Amino acid sequence: MATPDAQHRAGEPISEAEAIERLRQTADPSQQYYGAWWLGRMRSNHPEAVPLLRIALRERKPRDPGAGVEENAVARNAARALGKLAPAAAAAIPDLLETLDDSDHGLREAAARALGELRAEAAVPALCRRLASGPGVAGALEPGSPRLAEPCEALLEALGEIGVASGEVVAVVEPFVEHERPLIRSAAARSLLQLSGEPRWGALLLELLEHPQLQVRRAALMDLGAAGWRPALEPIRRTLAENSLKLIALRGLVERGSGEPGEAALLACMDELL
Amino acid sequence: MEMAPDALLACIAAVQEATSSEALVLATRQLAAAGHPEAAPVLVEVLGFNNPGAAVAAVDGLIALGARAVEALLQLDPQNYGARAWAVRALAGIGDVRGLELLVDALGSDVAASVRRAAARGLGSLQLEQLPAAERSAIAERCLAALEAATSDGEWVVRYAVAVGLEGLAPHLEPSSSRWQRAEASLAQLSETLAGNPEVVRLRANLALIRLRQP
Repeated sequence: MATPDAQHRAGEPISEAEAIERLRQTADPSQQYYGAWWLGRMRSNHPEAVPLLRIALRERKPRDPGAGVEENAVARNAARALGKLAPAAAAAIPDLLETLDDSDHGLREAAARALGELRAEAAVPALCRRLASGPGVAGALEPGSPRLAEPCEALLEALGEIGVASGEVVAVVEPFVEHERPLIRSAAARSLLQLSGEPRWGALLLELLEHPQLQVRRAALMDLGAAGWRPALEPIRRTLAENSLKLIALRGLVERGSGEPGEAALLACMDELL
Repeated sequence: MEMAPDALLACIAAVQEATSSEALVLATRQLAAAGHPEAAPVLVEVLGFNNPGAAVAAVDGLIALGARAVEALLQLDPQNYGARAWAVRALAGIGDVRGLELLVDALGSDVAASVRRAAARGLGSLQLEQLPAAERSAIAERCLAALEAATSDGEWVVRYAVAVGLEGLAPHLEPSSSRWQRAEASLAQLSETLAGNPEVVRLRANLALIRLRQP
């Protein structure tokens, strides 16, 4: 379906053919950036979308700063778009796997998220490898930056989305529920809840849903929705956060969850939040 | 129980003179709790202060005032975009037919999905029961046309709200009239399995259809 909103926000509305052409040309990276975003946002199924996004992803290099698009921005948007084009973008899994080892932190993050969205089981060993050193190394603060050594949140969430619940995966993820950052604890709990379905991980997310920082409550909302954990209905209704985010979380409970509370109760709560 | 005039004036002054975000939220809550119609213009003013906590309290207070808050809400400067979004939510919650134009306009053209969502819900919950039949029919037609047009909104949450709005509007449409059939057709469209139409929207539209078809 068309989304007039998104088009207006980004400038003038364009057609799918125009988005393809913008991504194909290489003279103006800012046009490529927009073309890649458009194809992902509109869930394009144009036959050239995935091949062109793969090419854009492979062109990872510093770009002309004068062009108004920072280094690797096109490649990052290409990775994000590929994640949204599942299952057609399965052909890009090898490219994304390679990108997972790029030196650009932001690019690794985008690749991890895309691999999660593509449910790429082939990516599990590589995702585990980047996290295996644990919260103290992979999860350590990068000197001189607010970032961690690895994009832990994205890596943890990807493992949960892919859903290979082996002992090895759980052993890699579990130490991160002790990470000093609540957002990382939330991502780890979400992942473990998806992998094991054990209520203790849901309970940990409910604790985070009462965190004094809004940013943490927002993350816990999204994580409960992603895991579809229906016992969270009442706590979601009560927490202090925007109704827009509560609605997204409840959609997750409806579509991804099962059991009690049932659909009728979930939909009634959504109606109240509109 | 209404507040003494002095106490009301003190509440209004506290809102207008608040020097911090927290103080504004607290003062707005107190003014909203006063439940006094003279608080309405001040609560509407708060909607434009770019303070979400205070705006939520003001919207709650305006909805509690109901019909007595509508004039103040309609006098809002249409250029004040942030305030308008909150006003749509308040009018949707109040359900007074004087809010019709603003709700129709918001559903059709607001850039924020959260505002279109509130407007769609509001168009299904206007209080039409007490109106003369001709007026009731004309307003129901406006609501129906606006909701029909929004069944192709790009945001799932707006389409979800359209399903809720159509269900709320249905009792005001003559059963098996052409309007009733249009509402039913829009819900049927929202219940279809199409790329980009998530399961939650389909479920909600189906629920509305089942409720509509119950004798």
